[in-house]
Amino acid sequence: MLMMHFLDLQLGDRIITLMAALVLVLQIAMVTQRWIVVHIRIFAAQSFFLAMIAATIAWFNHAPHLYAAAALTVAVKVILVPILFERLVRRMKIHEEIEPIVNVPMSVVISGGLTLVGYVVAESFYRPDEPGLGHNALAVAISLFLIGFFTMINRRKALTQVLALLSLENGMFLAAISLTYGMPLIVELGVFFDVLVAAMVLGILVYRIRETFESMDVSRLRRLRG
Amino acid sequence: MIERLIESVTQFFLLLALAPLVTGVIRTLKARLQTRRGPGILQPYRHLGKLFGKGMVIPDTASWIFSATPWILFFSTALAGLMIPMVAADAPLGLFGGVLAVIYLLGLGRFFLALSGLDTGSSFGGLGSSREMTISALAEPAMMLAIFTVAIGAGSTGLTEIAGSAIGQNWRFLAPAQMFAFAALALVLIAETGRIPVDNPDTHLELTMIHEAMILEYSGPYLALIEWAASIKQLVLMTLLINCFWPVGLQHTWFGFGALQEIAWLLAKLLFLSCAIVLLETVNAKMRLFRVPELLAVAFTLSSLALVSTFLF
Repeated sequence: MLMMHFLDLQLGDRIITLMAALVLVLQIAMVTQRWIVVHIRIFAAQSFFLAMIAATIAWFNHAPHLYAAAALTVAVKVILVPILFERLVRRMKIHEEIEPIVNVPMSVVISGGLTLVGYVVAESFYRPDEPGLGHNALAVAISLFLIGFFTMINRRKALTQVLALLSLENGMFLAAISLTYGMPLIVELGVFFDVLVAAMVLGILVYRIRETFESMDVSRLRRLRG
Repeated sequence: MIERLIESVTQFFLLLALAPLVTGVIRTLKARLQTRRGPGILQPYRHLGKLFGKGMVIPDTASWIFSATPWILFFSTALAGLMIPMVAADAPLGLFGGVLAVIYLLGLGRFFLALSGLDTGSSFGGLGSSREMTISALAEPAMMLAIFTVAIGAGSTGLTEIAGSAIGQNWRFLAPAQMFAFAALALVLIAETGRIPVDNPDTHLELTMIHEAMILEYSGPYLALIEWAASIKQLVLMTLLINCFWPVGLQHTWFGFGALQEIAWLLAKLLFLSCAIVLLETVNAKMRLFRVPELLAVAFTLSSLALVSTFLF
Protein backbone atom coordinates (compact mmCIF):
# COMPACT_ATOMS: atom_id res chain seq x y z
CA MET A 1 0.00 0.00 0.00
CA LEU A 2 2.76 2.37 0.99
CA MET A 3 4.73 1.22 -2.05
CA MET A 4 1.77 1.96 -4.30
CA HIS A 5 1.49 5.42 -2.85
CA PHE A 6 5.18 6.03 -3.41
CA LEU A 7 5.00 4.90 -7.04
CA ASP A 8 2.01 7.12 -7.57
CA LEU A 9 3.92 10.04 -6.17
CA GLN A 10 6.85 9.31 -8.47
CA LEU A 11 4.61 9.27 -11.52
CA GLY A 12 2.90 12.47 -10.40
CA ASP A 13 6.30 14.00 -9.77
CA ARG A 14 7.40 13.23 -13.33
CA ILE A 15 4.22 14.58 -14.88
CA ILE A 16 4.37 17.79 -12.87
CA THR A 17 8.07 18.26 -13.53
CA LEU A 18 7.46 17.93 -17.26
CA MET A 19 4.53 20.32 -17.29
CA ALA A 20 6.35 22.86 -15.14
CA ALA A 21 9.18 22.73 -17.70
CA LEU A 22 6.65 23.40 -20.47
CA VAL A 23 5.28 26.35 -18.54
CA LEU A 24 8.80 27.74 -18.29
CA VAL A 25 9.43 27.24 -22.01
CA LEU A 26 6.20 29.07 -22.80
CA GLN A 27 7.25 31.94 -20.55
CA ILE A 28 10.50 32.28 -22.50
CA ALA A 29 8.50 31.99 -25.75
CA MET A 30 6.51 34.99 -24.57
CA VAL A 31 9.71 36.98 -24.19
CA THR A 32 10.63 36.26 -27.81
CA GLN A 33 7.20 36.91 -29.22
CA ARG A 34 6.59 39.96 -31.39
CA TRP A 35 2.93 39.56 -32.28
CA ILE A 36 0.50 40.52 -29.60
CA VAL A 37 -2.23 38.02 -30.53
CA VAL A 38 0.25 35.14 -30.45
CA HIS A 39 1.45 36.51 -27.13
CA ILE A 40 -2.08 36.28 -25.73
CA ARG A 41 -2.47 32.72 -27.01
CA ILE A 42 0.82 31.61 -25.50
CA PHE A 43 -0.40 33.05 -22.21
CA ALA A 44 -3.59 30.98 -22.58
CA ALA A 45 -1.56 27.83 -23.25
CA GLN A 46 0.66 28.52 -20.25
CA SER A 47 -2.36 28.94 -18.03
CA PHE A 48 -3.79 25.71 -19.37
CA PHE A 49 -0.66 23.78 -18.36
CA LEU A 50 -0.82 25.48 -14.98
CA ALA A 51 -4.38 24.24 -14.55
CA MET A 52 -3.21 20.75 -15.50
CA ILE A 53 -0.51 20.93 -12.83
CA ALA A 54 -3.14 21.93 -10.27
CA ALA A 55 -5.36 19.04 -11.36
CA THR A 56 -2.45 16.58 -11.17
CA ILE A 57 -1.58 17.72 -7.67
CA ALA A 58 -5.25 17.38 -6.73
CA TRP A 59 -5.30 13.82 -8.09
CA PHE A 60 -2.12 12.54 -6.50
CA ASN A 61 -2.47 14.42 -3.25
CA HIS A 62 -6.18 13.79 -2.77
CA ALA A 63 -7.02 17.46 -2.44
CA PRO A 64 -10.37 17.75 -4.22
CA HIS A 65 -10.73 21.50 -3.77
CA LEU A 66 -7.73 21.96 -6.08
CA TYR A 67 -9.93 20.71 -8.90
CA ALA A 68 -12.02 23.78 -8.36
CA ALA A 69 -8.90 25.92 -8.60
CA ALA A 70 -7.92 24.15 -11.83
CA ALA A 71 -11.37 24.63 -13.30
CA LEU A 72 -11.32 28.28 -12.32
CA THR A 73 -7.91 28.72 -13.93
CA VAL A 74 -9.23 27.25 -17.16
CA ALA A 75 -12.35 29.39 -17.04
CA VAL A 76 -10.65 32.66 -16.17
CA LYS A 77 -7.15 32.55 -17.60
CA VAL A 78 -7.54 30.17 -20.53
CA ILE A 79 -10.91 31.35 -21.80
CA LEU A 80 -12.16 34.61 -20.33
CA VAL A 81 -9.07 36.82 -20.14
CA PRO A 82 -7.68 35.85 -23.58
CA ILE A 83 -11.09 36.49 -25.19
CA LEU A 84 -11.31 39.81 -23.40
CA PHE A 85 -7.85 40.83 -24.58
CA GLU A 86 -8.31 39.65 -28.14
CA ARG A 87 -11.48 41.69 -28.33
CA LEU A 88 -9.57 44.66 -26.98
CA VAL A 89 -6.84 44.15 -29.58
CA ARG A 90 -9.42 43.97 -32.34
CA ARG A 91 -11.28 47.02 -31.08
CA MET A 92 -8.11 49.09 -30.88
CA LYS A 93 -6.87 47.78 -34.23
CA ILE A 94 -3.35 47.10 -33.02
CA HIS A 95 -1.28 45.85 -35.91
CA GLU A 96 2.21 46.94 -35.00
CA GLU A 97 4.79 44.63 -33.49
CA ILE A 98 5.85 44.65 -29.88
CA GLU A 99 9.02 46.66 -29.54
CA PRO A 100 11.04 45.55 -26.53
CA ILE A 101 13.56 47.94 -25.00
CA VAL A 102 16.35 45.33 -24.84
CA ASN A 103 16.64 43.40 -28.13
CA VAL A 104 15.22 39.90 -28.33
CA PRO A 105 18.36 37.70 -28.22
CA MET A 106 19.61 39.67 -25.24
CA SER A 107 16.26 39.42 -23.44
CA VAL A 108 16.19 35.67 -24.02
CA VAL A 109 19.65 35.29 -22.54
CA ILE A 110 18.66 37.53 -19.60
CA SER A 111 15.57 35.36 -19.06
CA GLY A 112 17.84 32.32 -19.01
CA GLY A 113 19.98 34.02 -16.37
CA LEU A 114 16.90 34.86 -14.30
CA THR A 115 15.86 31.21 -14.49
CA LEU A 116 19.26 30.28 -13.15
CA VAL A 117 18.63 32.64 -10.22
CA GLY A 118 15.25 31.01 -9.71
CA TYR A 119 16.80 27.55 -9.59
CA VAL A 120 19.54 28.61 -7.19
CA VAL A 121 17.02 30.23 -4.83
CA ALA A 122 14.67 27.25 -4.96
CA GLU A 123 17.46 24.77 -4.34
CA SER A 124 17.65 25.76 -0.68
CA PHE A 125 14.01 24.69 -0.26
CA TYR A 126 14.60 21.31 -1.87
CA ARG A 127 14.51 18.26 0.40
CA PRO A 128 15.69 15.21 -1.55
CA ASP A 129 14.82 12.76 1.26
CA GLU A 130 11.11 13.59 1.26
CA PRO A 131 9.15 12.25 -1.68
CA GLY A 132 7.21 15.25 -2.89
CA LEU A 133 5.42 16.38 -5.98
CA GLY A 134 7.08 18.40 -8.71
CA HIS A 135 10.49 19.16 -7.28
CA ASN A 136 11.21 21.79 -9.93
CA ALA A 137 7.86 23.53 -9.56
CA LEU A 138 9.10 26.09 -7.04
CA ALA A 139 12.15 26.90 -9.17
CA VAL A 140 9.93 27.35 -12.21
CA ALA A 141 7.52 29.50 -10.18
CA ILE A 142 10.30 31.83 -9.03
CA SER A 143 11.63 31.98 -12.59
CA LEU A 144 8.18 32.87 -13.93
CA PHE A 145 7.98 35.58 -11.33
CA LEU A 146 11.38 37.08 -12.23
CA ILE A 147 10.89 36.78 -15.99
CA GLY A 148 7.42 38.32 -15.66
CA PHE A 149 8.95 41.28 -13.85
CA PHE A 150 11.66 41.60 -16.47
CA THR A 151 9.10 41.48 -19.29
CA MET A 152 7.09 44.24 -17.62
CA ILE A 153 10.16 46.43 -17.47
CA ASN A 154 11.16 45.48 -21.00
CA ARG A 155 7.91 46.42 -22.74
CA ARG A 156 6.61 49.83 -23.67
CA LYS A 157 3.01 49.10 -24.53
CA ALA A 158 0.52 48.96 -21.68
CA LEU A 159 -1.30 45.85 -22.93
CA THR A 160 1.85 43.74 -23.10
CA GLN A 161 2.77 44.92 -19.63
CA VAL A 162 -0.58 43.69 -18.40
CA LEU A 163 0.09 40.31 -20.04
CA ALA A 164 3.47 40.17 -18.31
CA LEU A 165 1.78 40.97 -15.01
CA LEU A 166 -0.64 38.09 -15.56
CA SER A 167 2.16 35.64 -16.31
CA LEU A 168 3.84 36.86 -13.13
CA GLU A 169 0.62 36.03 -11.33
CA ASN A 170 0.79 32.56 -12.91
CA GLY A 171 4.16 32.16 -11.22
CA MET A 172 2.65 33.08 -7.86
CA PHE A 173 -0.15 30.56 -8.36
CA LEU A 174 2.35 27.84 -9.21
CA ALA A 175 4.43 28.68 -6.12
CA ALA A 176 1.32 28.56 -3.97
CA ILE A 177 0.07 25.20 -5.18
CA SER A 178 3.50 23.59 -5.21
CA LEU A 179 4.40 24.73 -1.69
CA THR A 180 1.11 24.19 0.09
CA TYR A 181 -0.51 21.58 -2.17
CA GLY A 182 -3.58 23.75 -2.26
CA MET A 183 -4.65 26.79 -0.32
CA PRO A 184 -8.16 26.98 1.13
CA LEU A 185 -10.70 27.39 -1.63
CA ILE A 186 -11.84 30.76 -0.38
CA VAL A 187 -8.34 32.17 -0.92
CA GLU A 188 -8.26 30.75 -4.44
CA LEU A 189 -11.63 32.24 -5.21
CA GLY A 190 -10.49 35.62 -3.97
CA VAL A 191 -7.35 35.44 -6.10
CA PHE A 192 -9.27 34.52 -9.24
CA PHE A 193 -11.84 37.21 -8.72
CA ASP A 194 -8.94 39.58 -8.23
CA VAL A 195 -7.28 38.52 -11.48
CA LEU A 196 -10.50 38.85 -13.42
CA VAL A 197 -11.26 42.29 -12.05
CA ALA A 198 -7.64 43.38 -12.51
CA ALA A 199 -7.67 42.22 -16.11
CA MET A 200 -10.91 44.03 -16.83
CA VAL A 201 -9.88 47.24 -15.06
CA LEU A 202 -6.50 47.20 -16.77
CA GLY A 203 -8.18 46.53 -20.09
CA ILE A 204 -10.38 49.57 -19.65
CA LEU A 205 -7.43 51.57 -18.42
CA VAL A 206 -5.37 50.57 -21.46
CA TYR A 207 -8.25 51.61 -23.67
CA ARG A 208 -8.46 54.98 -21.91
CA ILE A 209 -4.71 55.52 -22.24
CA ARG A 210 -5.04 54.77 -25.91
CA GLU A 211 -7.98 57.17 -26.30
CA THR A 212 -6.27 60.00 -24.47
CA PHE A 213 -2.74 59.72 -25.77
CA GLU A 214 -3.44 58.01 -29.11
CA SER A 215 -0.88 55.40 -28.16
CA MET A 216 -0.40 52.63 -25.62
CA ASP A 217 3.21 53.61 -25.12
CA VAL A 218 3.47 54.23 -21.38
CA SER A 219 6.60 56.32 -21.78
CA ARG A 220 4.30 59.04 -23.07
CA LEU A 221 2.53 59.20 -19.73
CA ARG A 222 5.22 61.48 -18.34
CA ARG A 223 3.57 64.58 -19.69
CA LEU A 224 0.73 66.09 -17.78
CA ARG A 225 -2.41 67.00 -19.59
CA GLY A 226 -4.99 69.36 -18.24
CA MET B 1 40.31 -5.89 -34.42
CA ILE B 2 38.94 -7.39 -37.62
CA GLU B 3 35.43 -6.81 -36.27
CA ARG B 4 36.20 -3.12 -35.82
CA LEU B 5 37.35 -2.96 -39.41
CA ILE B 6 34.18 -4.61 -40.66
CA GLU B 7 32.09 -2.28 -38.54
CA SER B 8 33.90 0.80 -39.79
CA VAL B 9 33.64 -0.21 -43.43
CA THR B 10 29.96 -1.13 -43.08
CA GLN B 11 29.09 2.13 -41.36
CA PHE B 12 31.13 4.11 -43.89
CA PHE B 13 29.22 2.67 -46.81
CA LEU B 14 25.94 2.89 -44.94
CA LEU B 15 26.58 6.60 -44.42
CA LEU B 16 27.49 7.19 -48.05
CA ALA B 17 24.52 5.24 -49.33
CA LEU B 18 21.91 6.47 -46.89
CA ALA B 19 22.71 10.19 -46.89
CA PRO B 20 21.36 11.07 -50.37
CA LEU B 21 18.31 8.92 -49.67
CA VAL B 22 17.46 10.94 -46.55
CA THR B 23 17.77 14.15 -48.55
CA GLY B 24 15.57 12.67 -51.27
CA VAL B 25 12.93 11.49 -48.83
CA ILE B 26 12.78 14.91 -47.18
CA ARG B 27 12.42 16.64 -50.56
CA THR B 28 9.72 14.29 -51.79
CA LEU B 29 7.73 14.44 -48.57
CA LYS B 30 7.95 18.20 -48.63
CA ALA B 31 6.74 18.33 -52.23
CA ARG B 32 3.84 16.01 -51.41
CA LEU B 33 2.86 18.11 -48.42
CA GLN B 34 2.77 21.15 -50.67
CA THR B 35 0.63 19.18 -53.17
CA ARG B 36 3.43 19.00 -55.73
CA ARG B 37 4.51 15.72 -57.23
CA GLY B 38 8.17 16.10 -56.41
CA PRO B 39 11.18 14.52 -58.06
CA GLY B 40 11.11 11.05 -56.49
CA ILE B 41 13.29 9.88 -53.63
CA LEU B 42 16.15 8.62 -55.80
CA GLN B 43 16.74 11.97 -57.48
CA PRO B 44 19.77 12.93 -55.31
CA TYR B 45 21.60 9.78 -56.51
CA ARG B 46 20.91 10.66 -60.15
CA HIS B 47 22.00 14.21 -59.48
CA LEU B 48 25.28 13.06 -57.92
CA GLY B 49 25.85 10.64 -60.80
CA LYS B 50 25.27 13.38 -63.31
CA LEU B 51 27.66 15.77 -61.55
CA PHE B 52 30.40 13.11 -61.32
CA GLY B 53 30.18 12.62 -65.06
CA LYS B 54 30.70 16.27 -65.88
CA GLY B 55 33.79 18.38 -66.42
CA MET B 56 34.90 21.10 -64.05
CA VAL B 57 35.42 24.83 -64.35
CA ILE B 58 37.98 26.14 -61.88
CA PRO B 59 38.35 29.91 -61.54
CA ASP B 60 41.78 31.37 -62.48
CA THR B 61 42.01 33.15 -59.15
CA ALA B 62 41.52 29.99 -57.11
CA SER B 63 44.42 28.66 -55.01
CA TRP B 64 45.02 25.11 -53.73
CA ILE B 65 42.38 25.64 -51.06
CA PHE B 66 39.72 25.55 -53.75
CA SER B 67 40.72 22.06 -54.88
CA ALA B 68 41.47 20.72 -51.41
CA THR B 69 38.21 21.80 -49.80
CA PRO B 70 35.85 19.22 -51.35
CA TRP B 71 38.11 16.36 -50.29
CA ILE B 72 38.69 17.70 -46.78
CA LEU B 73 35.00 18.42 -46.34
CA PHE B 74 33.93 15.02 -47.59
CA PHE B 75 36.37 12.97 -45.56
CA SER B 76 36.15 14.96 -42.35
CA THR B 77 32.36 14.60 -42.45
CA ALA B 78 32.56 10.88 -43.16
CA LEU B 79 35.13 10.46 -40.35
CA ALA B 80 32.80 12.29 -37.98
CA GLY B 81 30.11 9.88 -39.14
CA LEU B 82 32.25 6.92 -38.09
CA MET B 83 32.60 8.33 -34.58
CA ILE B 84 28.88 8.41 -33.86
CA PRO B 85 26.76 5.46 -32.80
CA MET B 86 24.64 4.65 -35.80
CA VAL B 87 23.61 1.03 -35.99
CA ALA B 88 24.50 0.09 -32.42
CA ALA B 89 25.59 2.09 -29.40
CA ASP B 90 29.14 1.00 -30.14
CA ALA B 91 30.63 3.59 -32.51
CA PRO B 92 33.25 2.06 -34.86
CA LEU B 93 35.84 4.77 -34.25
CA GLY B 94 34.58 5.63 -30.78
CA LEU B 95 38.05 4.99 -29.36
CA PHE B 96 39.52 7.88 -31.35
CA GLY B 97 37.32 10.57 -29.95
CA GLY B 98 34.01 11.48 -28.44
CA VAL B 99 31.51 14.14 -29.14
CA LEU B 100 34.06 16.96 -29.14
CA ALA B 101 35.96 15.26 -31.96
CA VAL B 102 32.72 14.96 -33.94
CA ILE B 103 31.81 18.61 -33.46
CA TYR B 104 35.26 19.81 -34.43
CA LEU B 105 35.59 17.50 -37.41
CA LEU B 106 32.40 19.06 -38.70
CA GLY B 107 33.91 22.41 -37.76
CA LEU B 108 37.03 21.65 -39.79
CA GLY B 109 34.96 20.99 -42.88
CA ARG B 110 33.01 24.18 -42.33
CA PHE B 111 36.22 26.18 -41.86
CA PHE B 112 37.61 25.01 -45.19
CA LEU B 113 34.29 25.60 -46.91
CA ALA B 114 34.27 29.19 -45.65
CA LEU B 115 37.89 29.62 -46.78
CA SER B 116 37.08 28.36 -50.25
CA GLY B 117 34.15 30.75 -50.40
CA LEU B 118 36.59 33.57 -49.81
CA ASP B 119 39.30 32.03 -51.97
CA THR B 120 37.85 32.79 -55.39
CA GLY B 121 37.33 36.43 -54.53
CA SER B 122 33.73 36.54 -55.67
CA SER B 123 31.53 38.76 -53.57
CA PHE B 124 28.83 36.12 -53.08
CA GLY B 125 31.36 33.64 -51.72
CA GLY B 126 32.54 36.11 -49.11
CA LEU B 127 28.97 36.94 -48.20
CA GLY B 128 28.12 33.27 -47.77
CA SER B 129 31.24 32.61 -45.69
CA SER B 130 30.58 35.47 -43.34
CA ARG B 131 26.96 34.41 -42.85
CA GLU B 132 27.89 30.78 -42.31
CA MET B 133 30.50 31.70 -39.73
CA THR B 134 28.10 34.02 -37.89
CA ILE B 135 25.47 31.33 -37.63
CA SER B 136 27.80 28.52 -36.70
CA ALA B 137 29.51 30.65 -34.04
CA LEU B 138 26.10 31.13 -32.45
CA ALA B 139 24.97 27.52 -32.93
CA GLU B 140 28.10 25.88 -31.56
CA PRO B 141 27.75 26.89 -27.88
CA ALA B 142 24.13 25.73 -27.87
CA MET B 143 25.15 22.40 -29.38
CA MET B 144 27.99 21.91 -26.89
CA LEU B 145 25.84 22.66 -23.85
CA ALA B 146 23.05 20.38 -25.09
CA ILE B 147 25.48 17.52 -25.64
CA PHE B 148 27.14 18.13 -22.27
CA THR B 149 23.75 17.70 -20.61
CA VAL B 150 23.57 14.17 -21.96
CA ALA B 151 27.25 13.61 -21.28
CA ILE B 152 26.80 14.41 -17.58
CA GLY B 153 24.15 11.72 -17.32
CA ALA B 154 26.48 9.21 -18.94
CA GLY B 155 29.59 10.36 -17.08
CA SER B 156 31.61 10.56 -20.29
CA THR B 157 31.83 12.56 -23.50
CA GLY B 158 32.36 9.36 -25.47
CA LEU B 159 29.38 8.82 -27.70
CA THR B 160 29.47 5.08 -27.17
CA GLU B 161 28.98 5.62 -23.44
CA ILE B 162 26.33 8.28 -23.98
CA ALA B 163 24.23 6.13 -26.29
CA GLY B 164 24.91 3.07 -24.12
CA SER B 165 23.62 4.78 -20.99
CA ALA B 166 20.46 5.73 -22.84
CA ILE B 167 19.60 2.14 -23.76
CA GLY B 168 16.58 0.80 -21.93
CA GLN B 169 15.36 4.27 -20.96
CA ASN B 170 13.12 4.79 -23.93
CA TRP B 171 11.06 7.54 -22.36
CA ARG B 172 13.96 9.34 -20.76
CA PHE B 173 13.49 12.29 -23.08
CA LEU B 174 10.37 13.23 -21.14
CA ALA B 175 12.54 14.46 -18.27
CA PRO B 176 12.74 18.26 -18.49
CA ALA B 177 16.53 18.44 -18.85
CA GLN B 178 16.46 15.94 -21.70
CA MET B 179 13.57 17.75 -23.31
CA PHE B 180 15.30 21.12 -23.18
CA ALA B 181 18.51 19.63 -24.56
CA PHE B 182 16.58 17.82 -27.31
CA ALA B 183 14.78 20.99 -28.35
CA ALA B 184 18.04 22.97 -28.38
CA LEU B 185 19.81 20.33 -30.43
CA ALA B 186 16.89 20.18 -32.86
CA LEU B 187 17.15 23.94 -33.39
CA VAL B 188 20.89 23.60 -33.92
CA LEU B 189 20.24 20.78 -36.41
CA ILE B 190 17.98 23.09 -38.40
CA ALA B 191 20.57 25.88 -38.38
CA GLU B 192 23.50 23.61 -39.22
CA THR B 193 21.85 21.76 -42.08
CA GLY B 194 20.49 24.95 -43.61
CA ARG B 195 16.82 24.11 -43.20
CA ILE B 196 14.04 26.57 -43.70
CA PRO B 197 13.66 29.01 -40.85
CA VAL B 198 17.39 29.67 -41.18
CA ASP B 199 18.38 28.98 -44.79
CA ASN B 200 16.48 27.68 -47.78
CA PRO B 201 18.17 24.58 -49.24
CA ASP B 202 16.20 24.74 -52.50
CA THR B 203 17.00 28.14 -53.95
CA HIS B 204 19.86 30.24 -55.19
CA LEU B 205 18.17 33.46 -54.21
CA GLU B 206 21.12 35.76 -53.68
CA LEU B 207 19.67 37.79 -50.83
CA THR B 208 18.98 34.91 -48.52
CA MET B 209 21.33 32.09 -49.39
CA ILE B 210 24.01 30.98 -46.97
CA HIS B 211 25.32 27.54 -47.85
CA GLU B 212 24.69 27.92 -51.58
CA ALA B 213 26.56 31.22 -51.72
CA MET B 214 29.81 29.60 -50.59
CA ILE B 215 29.73 26.82 -53.17
CA LEU B 216 28.59 28.97 -56.06
CA GLU B 217 31.92 28.60 -57.90
CA TYR B 218 32.01 24.81 -57.71
CA SER B 219 30.95 22.55 -60.54
CA GLY B 220 31.17 18.93 -61.64
CA PRO B 221 32.71 16.29 -59.33
CA TYR B 222 33.78 18.87 -56.72
CA LEU B 223 30.21 20.11 -56.43
CA ALA B 224 29.05 16.50 -56.15
CA LEU B 225 31.51 15.87 -53.29
CA ILE B 226 30.35 18.99 -51.46
CA GLU B 227 26.67 18.19 -51.85
CA TRP B 228 27.27 14.63 -50.79
CA ALA B 229 29.17 15.85 -47.74
CA ALA B 230 26.30 18.20 -46.89
CA SER B 231 23.81 15.35 -46.93
CA ILE B 232 26.17 13.14 -44.90
CA LYS B 233 26.46 15.92 -42.34
CA GLN B 234 22.69 16.10 -42.16
CA LEU B 235 22.49 12.34 -41.63
CA VAL B 236 25.22 12.47 -38.96
CA LEU B 237 23.44 15.18 -36.98
CA MET B 238 20.06 13.46 -37.31
CA THR B 239 21.52 10.14 -36.16
CA LEU B 240 23.22 11.85 -33.24
CA LEU B 241 19.93 13.41 -32.19
CA ILE B 242 18.04 10.14 -32.52
CA ASN B 243 20.49 7.86 -30.80
CA CYS B 244 21.36 10.11 -27.87
CA PHE B 245 17.82 11.11 -26.96
CA TRP B 246 15.53 8.44 -28.30
CA PRO B 247 17.27 5.08 -28.13
CA VAL B 248 14.30 2.85 -28.97
CA GLY B 249 15.57 -0.35 -30.54
CA LEU B 250 19.25 0.47 -29.97
CA GLN B 251 21.56 -2.36 -28.87
CA HIS B 252 25.01 -2.30 -27.29
CA THR B 253 26.92 -4.21 -29.95
CA TRP B 254 26.78 -4.87 -33.66
CA PHE B 255 27.10 -8.59 -33.95
CA GLY B 256 24.37 -10.92 -32.99
CA PHE B 257 21.11 -11.54 -34.70
CA GLY B 258 19.68 -8.09 -34.05
CA ALA B 259 21.81 -6.08 -36.46
CA LEU B 260 19.21 -6.02 -39.24
CA GLN B 261 16.51 -5.19 -36.75
CA GLU B 262 18.62 -2.30 -35.45
CA ILE B 263 19.03 -0.94 -38.97
CA ALA B 264 15.27 -1.20 -39.48
CA TRP B 265 14.71 0.77 -36.27
CA LEU B 266 17.24 3.36 -37.37
CA LEU B 267 15.48 3.79 -40.71
CA ALA B 268 12.09 4.07 -39.03
CA LYS B 269 13.36 6.72 -36.63
CA LEU B 270 15.09 8.63 -39.42
CA LEU B 271 11.83 8.62 -41.36
CA PHE B 272 9.98 9.93 -38.33
CA LEU B 273 12.52 12.72 -37.79
CA SER B 274 12.40 13.56 -41.51
CA CYS B 275 8.61 13.90 -41.29
CA ALA B 276 9.03 16.26 -38.33
CA ILE B 277 11.58 18.34 -40.27
CA VAL B 278 9.31 18.45 -43.33
CA LEU B 279 6.38 19.59 -41.21
CA LEU B 280 8.51 22.27 -39.59
CA GLU B 281 9.80 23.46 -42.96
CA THR B 282 6.34 23.63 -44.47
CA VAL B 283 4.58 25.55 -41.72
CA ASN B 284 7.37 28.08 -41.26
CA ALA B 285 8.52 30.88 -43.49
CA LYS B 286 12.18 31.67 -43.85
CA MET B 287 13.40 34.08 -41.20
CA ARG B 288 15.10 37.31 -41.99
CA LEU B 289 18.82 36.84 -41.53
CA PHE B 290 18.90 39.27 -38.63
CA ARG B 291 16.23 37.26 -36.85
CA VAL B 292 18.30 34.07 -36.93
CA PRO B 293 20.32 35.06 -33.82
CA GLU B 294 17.01 35.17 -31.93
CA LEU B 295 16.33 31.55 -32.81
CA LEU B 296 19.82 30.54 -31.79
CA ALA B 297 19.56 32.57 -28.57
CA VAL B 298 16.49 30.48 -27.76
CA ALA B 299 18.50 27.33 -28.48
CA PHE B 300 21.33 28.54 -26.25
CA THR B 301 18.98 29.43 -23.41
CA LEU B 302 17.22 26.09 -23.67
CA SER B 303 20.47 24.17 -23.56
CA SER B 304 21.80 26.16 -20.62
CA LEU B 305 18.51 25.56 -18.80
CA ALA B 306 18.96 21.87 -19.54
CA LEU B 307 22.43 21.94 -18.04
CA VAL B 308 21.26 23.92 -15.00
CA SER B 309 18.36 21.61 -14.32
CA THR B 310 20.58 18.52 -14.47
CA PHE B 311 23.00 20.07 -12.01
CA LEU B 312 20.67 21.54 -9.45
CA PHE B 313 18.09 18.77 -9.29
